Amino acid sequence: MRILKYLMLKLLPFVYAITLITVVWQLVIVFTHPHPSILPTPWATAKNFITLIENGSLFIHTGASLGRVFSAWLLSACVAVPLGLIMGRSILLERILDPIIELFRPISPLAWIPLAILWFGIGEAGKIFVVFIGTFFPILLSTVAGVKSIDPILINAGKVLGCRSHFSLFRKVIFPAATPNIMVGLRISFGTGWAAIIAAELVAARSGLGYLIANGMEILRADHVLVGMIMIGLLGVCFDAFFRFINRYLTWQA
Amino acid sequence: MSTQHQPLRIENLSKIYTSSEGSQVTALQEVSLDIHAGEFVVIVGPSGCGKSTLLNILAGLEQSSSGQALAYGKPITQPDIDRGMVFQSYALFPWLSVRGNVEFGLEQRGLDKTQRRAVALEYLQLVGLSEFADKRIHELSGGMKQRVAIARAFAINPSIILMDEPFGALDALTRRFLQGELLRIWRSHQKTIVFITHSVPEAIVLGSRIIIMTARPAQIKSEVSVELPYPRDTASEDFRALEQQLYAQLDEEVARTFEMK
Repeated sequence: MRILKYLMLKLLPFVYAITLITVVWQLVIVFTHPHPSILPTPWATAKNFITLIENGSLFIHTGASLGRVFSAWLLSACVAVPLGLIMGRSILLERILDPIIELFRPISPLAWIPLAILWFGIGEAGKIFVVFIGTFFPILLSTVAGVKSIDPILINAGKVLGCRSHFSLFRKVIFPAATPNIMVGLRISFGTGWAAIIAAELVAARSGLGYLIANGMEILRADHVLVGMIMIGLLGVCFDAFFRFINRYLTWQA
Repeated sequence: MSTQHQPLRIENLSKIYTSSEGSQVTALQEVSLDIHAGEFVVIVGPSGCGKSTLLNILAGLEQSSSGQALAYGKPITQPDIDRGMVFQSYALFPWLSVRGNVEFGLEQRGLDKTQRRAVALEYLQLVGLSEFADKRIHELSGGMKQRVAIARAFAINPSIILMDEPFGALDALTRRFLQGELLRIWRSHQKTIVFITHSVPEAIVLGSRIIIMTARPAQIKSEVSVELPYPRDTASEDFRALEQQLYAQLDEEVARTFEMK
């Protein structure tokens, strides 16, 4: 019963938001009478949502987008976390890499899409490249920040308690101490990666939610566009909830 | 080797820092000291005099500028699990449980998982915290945290324990209690302890020998062997007399730190 009550309290704001959006949407239609290919009714959109689930295409597109985001984000984490751990401990390496990172960081991952297409074509590699760029910097910078915020006394304690090699110090003290910050970076970067993949698919793809939206525009099916957008929003909320959930169980900080 | 080596020997040790403005600051000047097996040496001095620097050099966390520190005849160049350390700010690992913290150093001693658990529990019992083994660090009070840190340092069974103002952040009652606990553990475990404080009563309650440091640059001003039997009665005349003697010496040094500015 307590879990049910908890879920109700968590879901209530979303029920309110969805209701409000639907009402406003319906009012716009009642007052402006748009052509259904420009703006379909909420009801027609919901029916199309069901149709796209039934014929499996929503799953295929969602799966394609998710697969790209997950693999690129994971790849990015595998490079950015170790690099960030070392950068946070080495002043020399930080001085060498920091100016380069500062130059690349303000460039939106979307600005990389044209180069990604030129270099990799419209296959999977290009999209993974774009998401990699989009997720790399948030993970790297939060890992560096996490390492730098470690109380030096903990590192001394690790050394006194027998961490003789750099590796054991990283494994047993520096990495766990930086975990809360790393988790923040992973969560934020998943959001930016999710935004980046949709953009990349809008430009060049044959599958994915971004493709569903772009294709909907071309064939004048605003209901496809809307279903794609709703799916992006819903999944975004789910990811955030998921990360908050594992954060509570995986990291030590309240 | 024919000669018996001291647990710790400090020979003409000096430490010079370069401050952030680029000037040279002498933290320790020509300090020499022998520490014998089983001694409880308390180092007292004005705050900021360089006591902690000395302890960090003994731990192997900092290097001396000249002179050397030896542990059992070997120059100290890096930390070693035979020299445990207890820090003023506890330095417990917040991502580990109480038990996890005590087990931390045991892996290096080559103990397997069941052995580590058993040893951790034994030392948590020693500090009266076995019921808290599965608690997280942030659930503990300051006094309990320092007991965990003491258990963690003793659990690896080092022959030397270095303690950097371990009770400095605790309230007076907890401090008194932990002083008693520490003496009990020291006497039953035959360790050599080097303990830093700026509390004169604490020095007399604990120390078998008290080293008084001068204001910066820190040198050894004098030393006193305390012959009073443990546990020491803080209200006794001998205790009071020693207290007066130490305060008189330290007052001079504290006055000097103010004159320097």
